[in-house]
Amino acid sequence: MTSRNILKSTAIAFTISIGLASTALAECNFEGETITIVVPFGEGGGTSQTFGFFQPYLQKYLPGNPLIQMLNVPGGGSIKGANQFHNNQVVDGTYLLATSTSTVLNQAAGNPLVEYDLGAYKPVALIESNVHWFTSPTVSATAYDLGPLKERSLNLFALNSPSSADMFHVWIINKLGLDNARPIPGLSSSNGYQAFLRGEIQLSSHGTANYLRQVKQGIDAGEITDLMTLGWIQPDGSIERVPYAPDTPTFAEQFETMTGAPLSDDDLDTYMAINAIWNQASKALFLPTETSDEIVQCWTNAFAEIVKDTDFIAEAPNRLGPFPLIIGDDARPVVARATSLSDGVVDQLNNALKANRLSYRIER
Amino acid sequence: MDQLFSVLLQLFEPQHFMFLILGVLLGLSVGILPGLGGTTGLAILLPFVSSFEPSMALALMIGVLAPTTTSDTFPAVLIGIPGTAGSQATVLDGFPLAKQGFAARALSAAFTASLIGGLWGAFILSISIVFAKPIILAVGFGEQFLLIILALIMIGALTGANLVKGLASCTIGLVLGAIGLAEITGDPRLTFGSLYLVDGVPLIIVGMGLFAIPEIVGLLQSRSTIAGKDGLKGGWSQGMRDVASNWFLVLRCSTIGVIVGALPGLGGTVVDWIAYSHMRQTAKNPENLGKGDIRGVIAPESANNAKEGGALIPTILFGIPGSGNKVLLLGGFLLIGIEPGIEMVTTQLDMTYLIIWSLALANVLGAGICIFLARPMSRITTTPYYLLAPVLIALIFFATYQINRDWNDFVGLLFFGLLGVILKTFGWSRPALLIGFFLSSKIELLSYQTSAVYGFSFLTRTGSLILIFVAVVTVWFLLRQKIQNELQSTDKSQQQAHMIVTASFMVFPIAMAIGVLGLDARASLYPMVLSAVLIIFLIFILWSQLRSLQSTRIGTPLPDKVLMRDVFSQDGALWPQLLEFSNLVIFMMLIVIFGFPIATVLFVICFIVHREPTRFVIASLLGFTLVGLMWLLSNLLTLQYPAGWIVNFVNLPWWLSGH
Repeated sequence: MTSRNILKSTAIAFTISIGLASTALAECNFEGETITIVVPFGEGGGTSQTFGFFQPYLQKYLPGNPLIQMLNVPGGGSIKGANQFHNNQVVDGTYLLATSTSTVLNQAAGNPLVEYDLGAYKPVALIESNVHWFTSPTVSATAYDLGPLKERSLNLFALNSPSSADMFHVWIINKLGLDNARPIPGLSSSNGYQAFLRGEIQLSSHGTANYLRQVKQGIDAGEITDLMTLGWIQPDGSIERVPYAPDTPTFAEQFETMTGAPLSDDDLDTYMAINAIWNQASKALFLPTETSDEIVQCWTNAFAEIVKDTDFIAEAPNRLGPFPLIIGDDARPVVARATSLSDGVVDQLNNALKANRLSYRIER
Repeated sequence: MDQLFSVLLQLFEPQHFMFLILGVLLGLSVGILPGLGGTTGLAILLPFVSSFEPSMALALMIGVLAPTTTSDTFPAVLIGIPGTAGSQATVLDGFPLAKQGFAARALSAAFTASLIGGLWGAFILSISIVFAKPIILAVGFGEQFLLIILALIMIGALTGANLVKGLASCTIGLVLGAIGLAEITGDPRLTFGSLYLVDGVPLIIVGMGLFAIPEIVGLLQSRSTIAGKDGLKGGWSQGMRDVASNWFLVLRCSTIGVIVGALPGLGGTVVDWIAYSHMRQTAKNPENLGKGDIRGVIAPESANNAKEGGALIPTILFGIPGSGNKVLLLGGFLLIGIEPGIEMVTTQLDMTYLIIWSLALANVLGAGICIFLARPMSRITTTPYYLLAPVLIALIFFATYQINRDWNDFVGLLFFGLLGVILKTFGWSRPALLIGFFLSSKIELLSYQTSAVYGFSFLTRTGSLILIFVAVVTVWFLLRQKIQNELQSTDKSQQQAHMIVTASFMVFPIAMAIGVLGLDARASLYPMVLSAVLIIFLIFILWSQLRSLQSTRIGTPLPDKVLMRDVFSQDGALWPQLLEFSNLVIFMMLIVIFGFPIATVLFVICFIVHREPTRFVIASLLGFTLVGLMWLLSNLLTLQYPAGWIVNFVNLPWWLSGH
């Protein structure tokens, strides 16, 4: 199955989810107004592209068909733009913040430069993603037998920076009991992937979009061995395999295989927090704290309409990925999990950083 | 062969061709403003891409992207401002040529070289892309590390007559490049707790500050035109003949462009410098280089179009963007259903060839249009300073603000501008500092990554052996050139000024060393070592300056200019330059009070009227045209300009009331 076909088949996921979104009546009209979405990243980056895709649909489905503009405020790993949003909140529904994983992580990790508070804002929609791990056939491990990985003297994996979003790698890999794994910092995911192709690192990972575009064909050709995904969390809290890689176990499954017991207590909490930051809230749209419920409802209604649009259903899998949107109230618990980490979770992550001799620590 | 033929047919299909031209025109008009480039053009286009038919959208995107590296030559040659990081090397000889009245010749040579380089690059690319995969995969961390060391050695040729001062300049760059989060541990280095410095200082600010501002200050000081009293001397067709007689140089440099553009690690920004250094090392009679030698324009320009082609290889083969604007192009590819991968050189080779030759054709179109614009554009160099300078100052600030949309960018610009003026006056190498700055983080990261994966065993890999061999040959070439001794200044007070400047540069290593004290060893080792090396260099320079001061030997009364004959002329005393520099500070204060657009009107009008009271009409015309342009760009790009203090009291429209 080519990646294109996978994308098509997962369009079904979209059509199923829309039935759940509620569309209570709300009074508001944006006629003649200009709506500003603050994007704390540069033009043409992933977040700009994601919300650029929504632009025409929002214009179509928001009452009064307002003009939608994106205000790019890049810098400081998205802290600058998000702070700017925080300090200039306009609560009439015309001023929003778009975020990505690094925005969420900077708050969760207690970065002292952060002034914004995603947990206080009103989430409108989350665009979910997933993470995939894979290795080279020369390692001769498979998704159902990680043994050969464990037996090697050294496994290297890419890490952008211990303070960046992919710091979770060290926890995930630690929890699998791979004590012989070591991070090589300073590698972005695409540079890391290139190093993996060159055979310099053994464990590599990619997000959904790049997995489908680059890795999947290598897996189908037998040049790359799929290992696991981070897993897809359902509304009821259960952890499912991702629909486009049904044969690949999730981290939760691999954890159970390696340790003999399912994820529980702090391990489970940490996993849920990581999944919220990295997967579920990987792209998100927020209204300011004091926005009235009516206006929030207007926005969530618009999203509920958008996901029913036939053009959107046709294009979304290619542009946003195969997961359904998490809209409105459903997004709140996810954002809460992502932004406020319990002491147990902080300890877990800091211990993993320490075990990898990384000096960076999450602040409480 | 069949594939190539069918691609050629497709290439000249009326619709494809039309969209390509459309893209080229858009790219040219965006790219001619410093600070904006193909990336901005593509960003404007991207939202509309999916509404076009795929092959048309592709033509449009490539058309926009291609001419940026071409049109940024205008500001580089005409006014000494590197429009993008990629045109910095062109300034070296291009601007002196413009000063001598040969702007048209320099431009037409640059564009012709660009055109031929782009075509030759596409030719090399068409052949090499088919078997490029194993070669690119052979370039591991170790090879990338050696590649950067090689680049440093090659560019060492740019350090000027005084080798130690050049090396010290480069080390200052390396130290400044270490500011920001430590790549390996994420510890902040010398960020003073500010958000702005977390990402380090943007390269383009360093480039603008070091190169553009000293030139503007020089222009203000000259109270004349760029071309001086003699005016334009023409030479438009001479420029093309220059390229023809240097055809082999063009082929060599464009080949370098393709290779460096395609290989991971180095990045396209240094390609122009490498091409320039290569030319310098192989040139017969290099005496005139840096003072307006046409070869100094031809070499970097023939490389920079070819480099764009080279950067397509990793984009097409692995979906890994080879340069910044390829990230956007990749996004565009995916939108219209082109999936990178090895299929692109097997079953979909025709699509790949269509991309490569569309790029080449767009280069030809862009460079062709530019060649015809060369003559009229060269008139800029005869514009009186009182009209040109205020507009340039506004343009530079605009370009600077485009980087991060941050006030600190202005502060950074003024800081590096001042540093640039000082470096220029006292004969320190600005290119060496810039290259050091750019390569600093790469050197640190790759040395760490190489040691983590290979230890020292990387030295025995085939690729490494080849690179070491090339490095040895390069050093041999370098040594073959005469290294001249520094010619000492005869004026005692000036010599003391030299010493004060040298001593004050100590602030960089000392601040850095104190700033990283107590950090994790992996975060502090690199800047510590650099700081130590820099302190040793500076002490050595101080000692030699002191010795020459004590000897009070009245040497041959040679002008100071000889000191840095390779890297711009060294002219003027510091004080009058600082006086002119204060214009920039005044403009900055106006921005703080009134916001950028209003400050621009005020500054342009007041400046012109102050210097030439009769030119009030043209002054207001210029001022309001600039603001009109800003309003237009604000609408096109959703830009808010830096707002001033007055927004607290006056209600201003959205685009004037930014943060």
